[in-house]
Amino acid sequence: MLKVFSWRKLVFRFDWTLVLAVMMVIFLGLVNLWGSVKDQQYLLFARQLSWLGLGLLLFFVIASIDYRIIARYAYVLYGIGALLLVSVLIAGKVVAGARRWFDLGPSHFQPSEIMKVVVILAVGKYLNDTPLQDGRTWQHLAVPAAIVGLPVLLIAAQPDLGTAMMVLLIFMSVMITARLKAKTMLGLGALAALAIAPIWEYGLHDYQKGRVLAFINPNLDPATAWQPRQAMNAVGSGRFIGKGFLEGSQIRLRNLPALWTDFPFAVWAEEWGFVGCAVVLCAYAFLILRALRVASEARDRFGAAVCVGTAAIIFWQVSVNIGMVTGVLPVVGVTLPLISYGGSSVLTVLVSLGLVMNVSVRRYSY
Amino acid sequence: MEIAGQNAELPEIRRRTRYFALLVLLVFGALGTRLFFLQVLEGDSFYRVTADSVIRTEILPALRGEIRDHRGRVLASTRPAYNVEVVPSRLDRATYTQLLKILADHDEDLPDWDTFLARVGDKKDRPFIVATDVSRETMAQLETSMDSRGVTVRTEARRFYPNGPLAANTLGYLNEVSAEELRTLKDEGYRPGDLAGRTGLEKQWEPYLRGRKGLRKYVVPRRGIDPSTIAISDLVSGPTEVAPVPGENLVLTLDLDVQKAAERSLAQYRAAAAVVLDVKTGRILAMVSRPGYDPNSMSGSLSSEAAARLFSDPFRPLRDRCLSDTFNPGSTFKAISAISAIEEGVITAEERTKCYQFVQVGRRRFRCTKAHGIVNLQQAIIQSCNVFFYELAMRPGMMGHLSHYAAMLGLGVPTGLGLNGEQAGFVPTEEWHRQQEPTSSQQGFMIGHALNTAIGEGATRVTPMQMALVYATIAADGVLWLPQIIERIETNDGRVVEEFEPRVRSHLTIGADTLNIVRKALVGVVNNPKGTAYKARSNKVTVAGKTGTAQANQMRNVKTGELPPIYARQDHAWFAGFAPAEAPQIAFAVLVEHGGHGGDVAAPAAIAIAERYMELKAEREAADNKVLPVRPSAAPTPPAAAAPNGATAAEGPPPRRLSP
Repeated sequence: MLKVFSWRKLVFRFDWTLVLAVMMVIFLGLVNLWGSVKDQQYLLFARQLSWLGLGLLLFFVIASIDYRIIARYAYVLYGIGALLLVSVLIAGKVVAGARRWFDLGPSHFQPSEIMKVVVILAVGKYLNDTPLQDGRTWQHLAVPAAIVGLPVLLIAAQPDLGTAMMVLLIFMSVMITARLKAKTMLGLGALAALAIAPIWEYGLHDYQKGRVLAFINPNLDPATAWQPRQAMNAVGSGRFIGKGFLEGSQIRLRNLPALWTDFPFAVWAEEWGFVGCAVVLCAYAFLILRALRVASEARDRFGAAVCVGTAAIIFWQVSVNIGMVTGVLPVVGVTLPLISYGGSSVLTVLVSLGLVMNVSVRRYSY
Repeated sequence: MEIAGQNAELPEIRRRTRYFALLVLLVFGALGTRLFFLQVLEGDSFYRVTADSVIRTEILPALRGEIRDHRGRVLASTRPAYNVEVVPSRLDRATYTQLLKILADHDEDLPDWDTFLARVGDKKDRPFIVATDVSRETMAQLETSMDSRGVTVRTEARRFYPNGPLAANTLGYLNEVSAEELRTLKDEGYRPGDLAGRTGLEKQWEPYLRGRKGLRKYVVPRRGIDPSTIAISDLVSGPTEVAPVPGENLVLTLDLDVQKAAERSLAQYRAAAAVVLDVKTGRILAMVSRPGYDPNSMSGSLSSEAAARLFSDPFRPLRDRCLSDTFNPGSTFKAISAISAIEEGVITAEERTKCYQFVQVGRRRFRCTKAHGIVNLQQAIIQSCNVFFYELAMRPGMMGHLSHYAAMLGLGVPTGLGLNGEQAGFVPTEEWHRQQEPTSSQQGFMIGHALNTAIGEGATRVTPMQMALVYATIAADGVLWLPQIIERIETNDGRVVEEFEPRVRSHLTIGADTLNIVRKALVGVVNNPKGTAYKARSNKVTVAGKTGTAQANQMRNVKTGELPPIYARQDHAWFAGFAPAEAPQIAFAVLVEHGGHGGDVAAPAAIAIAERYMELKAEREAADNKVLPVRPSAAPTPPAAAAPNGATAAEGPPPRRLSP
């Protein structure tokens, strides 16, 4: 009989390394946000603080519930998540032509963010329930593909291509743990490459195509290329040691749109320079590697899948966000985990890290 | 959750997470490399871009240098002008109508509100200048009765010529540089809206007069940015503030009083020119070209009609007749003919010729003004007898002597002043005549060409400046000066930058006896009862000179068969000479375009200038015991080395100047 809450385990097996890594990233994010909102109302900072507070509370609550209990409800959670995605398409708030958010009075809620965790849970549960000794091939992919396909399509319909792609990337990372045969992996890669053309032709909106084209050739459409250009200017102008805290001239001018959600790294890079950027990258690497370490020590495949999925959430979002800010990837609305301003993003990441903590606490015993 | 076979998968999972970790490290490494490239390798250029976007550079205009006369009196200066600017987005119909009412007496025609808006288009946030150089009264009225943020009065520096049209062609004028010129002038620091000298000294000395602009860099105040907290020196490399350097002042050799006298004496003529030189230095004391114009109206807002009027005026007010127009010298050339004949031993002073009012050469009659009877050289000059010079010109080799001496005295090449596209004029030679097209009347040298040349008709062309220099040379015992108009250049605060000494262009070897004979004859022109300028003589000063009446073109137009208008058929009146005859101080040449007879028209004007000059000199000597045009040091010391004949090296600006 499993206990629903087991505080004892949490206290005795507390993963200090993981918590330290989380706290480090949160601290860097708060410092940066303080710089970003200096000229603005302090409300933004206070809100982010309360989101983080709530997130950390959830982190510990989730860490204390045995993850095998959570695994039992994985498909239920998946169902709820899918329902939320459907309803946001109907009742969501329209912002800039897309339905992504539920309007919750003072704040917004973005179901696609939390769906990332739910997909990990569902896929993990499926993989856990269908062990195979000699690797998986095409026929074993049908169910996981269906599990991830539904939310991806729903999210892409909002439209929010960035998040849809994120979910796909996370899913693919989780599947690494699923013992796919090499041939199958190659086949999947080829399929993905083939899919690019039809997706480009029929799947993308004009503004999305525009961003990609502007990325490939900035002279084609200077207006679309302006935003990443400004971000790149900010990053580059930080030079080696940065302009100093609160000294970024790009920020002072507030030349950058979506600064607190999509481009906090540009602010950081401008004020702290290459040294600061290296610190942020190291903090993230530390956190991701810790999650992967927990994955490799997990007692079962569900736990491993959850940890790899969490590591994938952080890894892909950091890579895409920084890639976009430094001009190596087109602009997609992907947040920087724990540093970007925004409740849904903070809660999602902290909830999934809570799951990692959960697995870490229970890695030696059942 | 204990499921069979599950744990067997775990080592495999461990291995695969290690691959994932490797991927993480690879991607982060790539991101780090990218950041290194952006921030460390390319950082400086990005830094500049972001710094530039917060910084604006304000150009501080430089005060243009003044132009002053020999005695320091201002000829061109700068004064403040008040322009009315509006920002359309901050205006409404009522305010604009009120503004129109106040500006009603200002001569610029302003459109009504709707037309104005249409003209403005979508640039509503930019300031528009609706009236330039409004009066102080209008400005006061605007400030008291208009209460709109959309209307501002802005002060602008404007070129100011206190004496109006006086010496306008010499001083020149300014106007705005065109977009086309900007393309080439940008490197020299010109920007849209800048003025540049267009003619005269304003153009020739533009690089000195304009000074150097300053600049001030500042942080743009935007919402949420407090410029006072940002140290600008952290954001820009190089200086953040450069003070403008005012242009240098030109001190001219011109004397305002002499200039005024010259202008006054020619005021009654529609088109005329006068040059007054200091015989002992070659410095220009006055230079008049009529009709002039008011450079004040040119250096700013010249209405298009006024400009059209000015440019289409048949009397061509913008043409500097002293330098850029050439004329037949007429009888003023006879002094040169006389010098060449005596010097080359073609005649003696005693030789006489009988004038029957014409000379027959082949089938053509070369006429004289009247039958002068028996004349010697002196009488021929005094009475301006053509026949005497015809006889002279028919002697062998005379054509060659004429061209040689004319060139020696500086004709046929620019004088070296380098102003206003100075013309060279022309001295015909036998060789030149032979080379002409068979259809030309000048074709093939014939003796008739020599006859015409000897009396200053035919192909010979001179500028008034050249003629004044010829007579200055006669007065100064054969010293041919480079004409000089800039005495010195001073900085804005009076420090002398460069001082120009008089320069001899050539020291001619003309016998003293020859010059004495000619000078005596020139005195007779004015003072002998038979002289052509006797009517114009002065009892205050002995003037020596030669009248000239150069024939104007009376030929029918080849295509239309029309005669030129009656005005253009009248002869040009010349008088060139020096004064006072006993100890020459000034030399001059006066030309009245289509004025008629030299003795009746040009001589009185010239003699009036000489009289006024002597008066001024006496007044000034009495007042401060200073000699007028020449500073004591500039005595007529013989030059050490004579410049080659025909040298064109200008007593002008050193290399900084653009080629004229």
